Amino acid sequence: MAVLPPMRGAGTPTRDEESEAFDRGRSVLGVDPDNDAIDLVQLDDQTMELNMGPQHPSTHGVLRLVLELDGEVVRECRPDIGFLHTGFEKSFESHTWQQCIPFTDRMDYLAPLFNNLGFSLAAERLLGIEVPLRAQYLRVIMCELTRVASHFLWYGTSALDLGATTPFVYAWREREKILDINELISGVRMHTSFIRVGGLLADVPDEFYALVNEVVKTFPSFIDQYELLITKNPIWMDRTRGLGVLSPDDAMAYGATGPTLRGSGIPYDLRKAQPYSSYDHFDFDIPIGSHGDVYDRYLVRMREARESIKIIGQAMASLPGGAVNTSDRKVALPPRNEINTSMESLIHHFKLVTEGFHVPHGQVYQAIESPRGELGFYIVSTGGNRPYRCKVRGPSFSNLSALPHMVRNELIADVVAVIGSIDIVLGDVDR
Amino acid sequence: MTTTPAPVTSAGPPRGRRAADVLSRELPLAVISVDEGVGELTILVHVEHLIGALTLLRDHADALYRLPVFVTAVDWPDREPAAPRFDVVYQLRSIEHNDQCRLIVQVSEDAPRLPSAERVFAGMDWHERETFDLFGIEFTDHHDLHRILLPEDWVGHPLRKDYVSFGEPVAFTHNLEWALPAAERPRDMPGESR
Repeated sequence: MAVLPPMRGAGTPTRDEESEAFDRGRSVLGVDPDNDAIDLVQLDDQTMELNMGPQHPSTHGVLRLVLELDGEVVRECRPDIGFLHTGFEKSFESHTWQQCIPFTDRMDYLAPLFNNLGFSLAAERLLGIEVPLRAQYLRVIMCELTRVASHFLWYGTSALDLGATTPFVYAWREREKILDINELISGVRMHTSFIRVGGLLADVPDEFYALVNEVVKTFPSFIDQYELLITKNPIWMDRTRGLGVLSPDDAMAYGATGPTLRGSGIPYDLRKAQPYSSYDHFDFDIPIGSHGDVYDRYLVRMREARESIKIIGQAMASLPGGAVNTSDRKVALPPRNEINTSMESLIHHFKLVTEGFHVPHGQVYQAIESPRGELGFYIVSTGGNRPYRCKVRGPSFSNLSALPHMVRNELIADVVAVIGSIDIVLGDVDR
Repeated sequence: MTTTPAPVTSAGPPRGRRAADVLSRELPLAVISVDEGVGELTILVHVEHLIGALTLLRDHADALYRLPVFVTAVDWPDREPAAPRFDVVYQLRSIEHNDQCRLIVQVSEDAPRLPSAERVFAGMDWHERETFDLFGIEFTDHHDLHRILLPEDWVGHPLRKDYVSFGEPVAFTHNLEWALPAAERPRDMPGESR
């Protein structure tokens, strides 16, 4: 990340002459130290440099791009990230395992439950525990609802980037219903921390079933409406087809995953390939694209949302009863009535609240399929009550690294369409 | 009622077995050791054979680990003095064979550098920059190695274990100086690591 102030008129003497970092940041980005990046910088007779972001509305957060332009054609694109870097991986090392869950919520803030799930599964594998089937199904239901919400938000915002304002309003309306379900089960609309190591925060209330069944019943027709708005819309097709093409080989070489990889025609979905949390109990398809362009990624996401609703319907129909937390009292809090009658339970309760549980020595990599791709947690434990090291593999980070390749020799107006199509969340990129 | 369904990772050989087999058959000199844990293999390789091993795993028909998942490091400052301080971790995925593998190379504190793998996998470019940024491990012949997440003038590498993250400590009688305004605190005051 370079240290550059956001907006400044040419020639305004506001630069801190003491700051070497300022110049270093510019030299790294290839910007002449005497010029401001916000201005167009004439590099030679042919090309000039344009700064885009980090406050640009179509960068979906705080992404900064330095574009080298030849007329309107992008010759080179240098992303500059890190504006949202929060050092979560460092924080993990000083918090107990269960205390790490709220950090995970805040990384990919449009799909917080997936982050909860990835961390919990990794820790559970090290602990050697398996959560009850009801918890696994509820995890699947909540994650798929989150995937639908995330894809709806993506649909609204990326259509907005290309000038279509109506989809945004419609998609937001339906997303609210999913946030209502989040609020019902956890009291929080976004950062729910609902999935914990060893199970869930709590069982779901009775009102949950009607709300989710309503989603299963009504959402396919909402997706029909969305598709009616833009799928065959000539403007949308002209703006997105054949744009930002990523070949299957390039997609793999850049480490692209999720709809970005599947849009390029590779049917790889971790829910099918390496099932976790009982995904192998459900019947669903993996939509893929054929050209690897922006339009294909759009189609893949819309079909994925339909598949997610299929999964939710199946999970609701066969939702088993029982506990939602592991019966291993060394990991999950004992129920209240047990604490009243058993000295051992009281001790477990006290130990879990004060120092947390200890996780056996070892290392694990657990990957799950988030709405953006492979979200992985690589965790090293030395047997303590805190992770020794936790690396988060955010899918947006790798997907974004393919952006320069995708926008090379495209028009500058199409850059926003390509950024939109890879569905980055900057909290996931910068962590 | 608690039901115990089949464990998620039970079936089949541990993940990474394919990579270990290909490496020990085609490039046995590269492999130092293979560890197994929670259904995954961790392959420790010599740093001088790293690029050869990665290229082999990418191209060999039995491996085809063509998707770079991540590069990172783990800092072990308290390992016995003879052992190098940093583990650099490479995680790869094979879509064709539906497998994943993990390679680890060790680099020392005195010379924390190793060859860059960005020519093997284009996607490792940013991950190597992140590892450089947060751990201070250099990837020689990387085309554009500089900080990626932190500002260019940041001092230190935060994910090293000796880089202490500060909380906001509460001032008690034994550390009353924390109650002073930040500017008036003694500069060499011992930090309270959380």
